Amino acid sequence: MTNEVEAKAGVYRDTLLAGLWRENPVFRLLLGMCPTLAVTAAVKPALTMGCCVIFVLVCSNVIISLMRNLLKPHLRILMFTLTIATFVTIADLVLRAFMPDMSEVLGPYVPLIIVNCIIICRAEACASKNGVVVSVIDAVGMGVGFTGTLCVLASIRELLATGKIFEVAVMPDAYVPWAAMGMPVGAFVTLGLMLGLVNLTSKGRA
Amino acid sequence: MGGLRHFIEQSWLLIVSSFVFGLLLAATNYALAPTIEQNRIDKLNTLAKGLLPDAIHFREVTERIEIASSRGKNSEVSVYQGEADGGKCVGWSFAVSGSGFADKIDLVVAVDADFEKLAGYDVLMSNETPGFGDKIKDHFYRDQFKGAPIGELKVLTSGNAAKIDSEIIAISGATISSEAVVAILNDTLTRIKEQMEKKGLIGDDK
Repeated sequence: MTNEVEAKAGVYRDTLLAGLWRENPVFRLLLGMCPTLAVTAAVKPALTMGCCVIFVLVCSNVIISLMRNLLKPHLRILMFTLTIATFVTIADLVLRAFMPDMSEVLGPYVPLIIVNCIIICRAEACASKNGVVVSVIDAVGMGVGFTGTLCVLASIRELLATGKIFEVAVMPDAYVPWAAMGMPVGAFVTLGLMLGLVNLTSKGRA
Repeated sequence: MGGLRHFIEQSWLLIVSSFVFGLLLAATNYALAPTIEQNRIDKLNTLAKGLLPDAIHFREVTERIEIASSRGKNSEVSVYQGEADGGKCVGWSFAVSGSGFADKIDLVVAVDADFEKLAGYDVLMSNETPGFGDKIKDHFYRDQFKGAPIGELKVLTSGNAAKIDSEIIAISGATISSEAVVAILNDTLTRIKEQMEKKGLIGDDK
């Protein structure tokens, strides 16, 4: 009995940690590249996007996990998309109602969560094959892993592009803002360097 | 009969889910739509107040003002009358839109009480290139329109930006965005003016 509980706890821990690092959606699976490049010019929009993705991931994983035994194989992608689109639209409406300025900053990237590969990947790889608890833990792990990565990239870009983090000035007055880091080129360069660094640190461990 | 049964067996989950998700979205939209609309009106009023500082409040005109869009369809423009103390008209404001370099540009435009001169414009929504096209939001560019005559505005790449006339000096490195703003104003202002004259809101018939 104790072994069974321990084994379950181990599965939950592994599932949670997979999303945070071992199978991190951005650094390891290279999924969700569109928002990763588009909304990481500053930390606030990156964090908001991450929270939206966590909400959609958790809700869609719960629903898909509950209906997993009823899914017809040839209609499953349609069901995933329908479920994801519903929760993305809810997230978009909530943002427009309660955070209108942030909704404008994020622009089309909130509705585009519908086609974010992380969510459909977790629906297919985890929620449609596992129970609700594992699906929720997987969604939280992947969502937090994604949000964390976005925030790291956004912190570097915002710091270099404006001398601020979270809109608070941290660089000395003499710092000359590096405008390119706030533009798409900055996103590609930062992501490339981060991916290189992650590969370097985990070299030989694979 | 067998075909219908097969269809329902295969797709009942999809049909039921579509219905349930549709209801969920309708309920969310019903609950949040007034807040979203109020946010839009608040932003429009805030920007319009910045353009017409003498106006104490804005009253939407009841007359229907329609202009033809670039696709040939008529679109309704909500025109607001800026009123000073005692109800005196100090100008008009409205939201217009058109194509920019990257995406649609939505502008709030204000004109004087006689619809002879621009009081200025502000950007309601745009996705122009950061550091270049998004300078259409900057005072350097916007101030050139304050007091400019209503009519055919021209974009020049060099000249005296401080001189207020129908010649607008483009933003360096963002000529297309500069031209887009001028094109939106040229396309819409004259037509709105004609419509307002016809409805007796401005001109000798007033």
